[in-house]
Amino acid sequence: MSEASGIESSLLGRLPGGLRPREVEAPGSGRRRLVETTVLLLVFLLLALATVRDVVRAAGVNHRLAADLRTWRSVTGHDYHNLSTEQDIKGYSTRDVICGNTSPGAPGERTQVCFVMTGPIVKGQRAARGGYYLPPTVHDQRARRYACFGSAKRPSLCPR
Amino acid sequence: MESTRAGRRGRVLVGVLALLMLAATAEIVLDGALGHSPLIPKSPAIAGWLQGIGERLGYRIFLIAILVFACAYAGMLALARQISARWAIVLVAALHAIVFAGPILLSTDVFSYIAYARMGVQHGLNPYLHGPSSILHDPVYRYVGTDWKHVATVYGPIYTLISYPFGLLGVTGAVWGMKLLALLASAGTLTLTWRCACVRELNPVVALLAVGANPLYIVYGLGGAHNDMLMLLLMMAAVSLALVERPAAETRIDGAVVRAGTAAGGRVRAGMAAGLVVVGALVKATVAALLPFMILSKRRLAPVLGALIALGLGALSGYAAFGVHGIDVVSALNRDAAFVSTDSFPTEIAHLFGKPGVFPVDHYLLKAALVLIVLYLLWRTWRGYDWVAASGWTLLAISVTSTWLLAWYILWPLPLAVIARDRRLLAATLAVQALFIAHQVAPLIAPVP
Repeated sequence: MSEASGIESSLLGRLPGGLRPREVEAPGSGRRRLVETTVLLLVFLLLALATVRDVVRAAGVNHRLAADLRTWRSVTGHDYHNLSTEQDIKGYSTRDVICGNTSPGAPGERTQVCFVMTGPIVKGQRAARGGYYLPPTVHDQRARRYACFGSAKRPSLCPR
Repeated sequence: MESTRAGRRGRVLVGVLALLMLAATAEIVLDGALGHSPLIPKSPAIAGWLQGIGERLGYRIFLIAILVFACAYAGMLALARQISARWAIVLVAALHAIVFAGPILLSTDVFSYIAYARMGVQHGLNPYLHGPSSILHDPVYRYVGTDWKHVATVYGPIYTLISYPFGLLGVTGAVWGMKLLALLASAGTLTLTWRCACVRELNPVVALLAVGANPLYIVYGLGGAHNDMLMLLLMMAAVSLALVERPAAETRIDGAVVRAGTAAGGRVRAGMAAGLVVVGALVKATVAALLPFMILSKRRLAPVLGALIALGLGALSGYAAFGVHGIDVVSALNRDAAFVSTDSFPTEIAHLFGKPGVFPVDHYLLKAALVLIVLYLLWRTWRGYDWVAASGWTLLAISVTSTWLLAWYILWPLPLAVIARDRRLLAATLAVQALFIAHQVAPLIAPVP
């Protein structure tokens, strides 16, 4: 007699039938399996929906960023590839800020000009409705911004 | 005649699918060998001899290669019953060889492992108290991922001790050592998966291909030389020990047949299996999820004792080597659980409902959901459900509810899924993997210049 069956016969065997441990599952009507499979399919459906929605969202963001980068290069006339981009994660809006050097150099090593991009994509570009400058080698923080113009003149974006 | 023709067509199709899988893997490795790619971490020049064949690995090529690999893998699984064992082994071995020869792919984790090893061996620092930033001048520091420079190790003390000899090899030697460890661990995992499939009278070729030719397993798991490969090896060693029941030796005493060995041998194996799960958990804590199901299914004292003995010995060696921080796995896990990655399903669901991301309250909801799932599976196991399947479902639930999801986390349930009696687990695991791959394709639809 195995140890398991020994324990079962002594202690666990006294449990009511519905609580007693089993070596193999009792063949049921299949109702539980049906319920489990339905739940699994619903979970899969939710995950699939969330995945597709997220891919579409990410593709939209990529599309927008590509337009932002094109706009920055078009406005400044510089074909720089190392531009920094910042999205409005907290407000969940489509406002992006694109910064890049004003003269040739390593990324962020020169005075930077930043554009605040808003609105829809028209002919592959977006409207740069405002912006500001940043000194070299600093992070984009409100206190560091200067010579703000257009929509970026708001006190929430620029100190002066 | 008709069946012969169909058989020949099937073999040709299998050959084409195998070539696609090999070509996709080779494309990633050869292009990756050139470096200068956001997909290839900064690394010592270990694959310099492959340079010049490929081009710089961009997102577009990588995603196309992964999609081709995944589609070929799906086709291969559908036709797996027509494939001979020899061809399956050759294909899996070839995929492993290509990745082994190439650079580290897609993750800087291996450099964190090496940094922790060098901290202990070369600098006399406790990797459970300090991050790699404490060895700024060490040659490995520049390769450690930015996010992990200040983070102390979250891996178990047994893994840290295993990794210490690699700290003596120099950075390049250590990278090759880690790659070899991942390769051998994978070979061991696949051998044990094959063995378990045979024990359960399942098709071992299907099991081998489902795990060993899986695109996430090959490109992300093996390609990144992740310690998850070692965790999987220990997990499958434990499962294999628990599943194999040797026939009892028969002896005659005074004319009566006496069966010896079954109960005692079974107890020892059950104890060793539980002990191996604990050792696995002291490599990477996740594998501990198997233990309650194993104990519940056996309903013996032996696995409890085996687990306690292994835990005692492991904790003792962890404490001796690293002090109390070396055995404080819970706080390390809690720290990891607070991270959020963009690829995690909770983040995707948050986006679906218009939220910018996961909030602290969501962590509690997810933990509560996971607890409910585990309790249900424990109840099912108590009532005779396959404990291997229950363990697999738990590992899958952990990865799906985790806010910090990485490709190699969805590999955890795979070896269990291929040997589980409940075939829904394999379907669910592969479906989750497919969604993970699908989530990567945004740059393919709208590339950013």
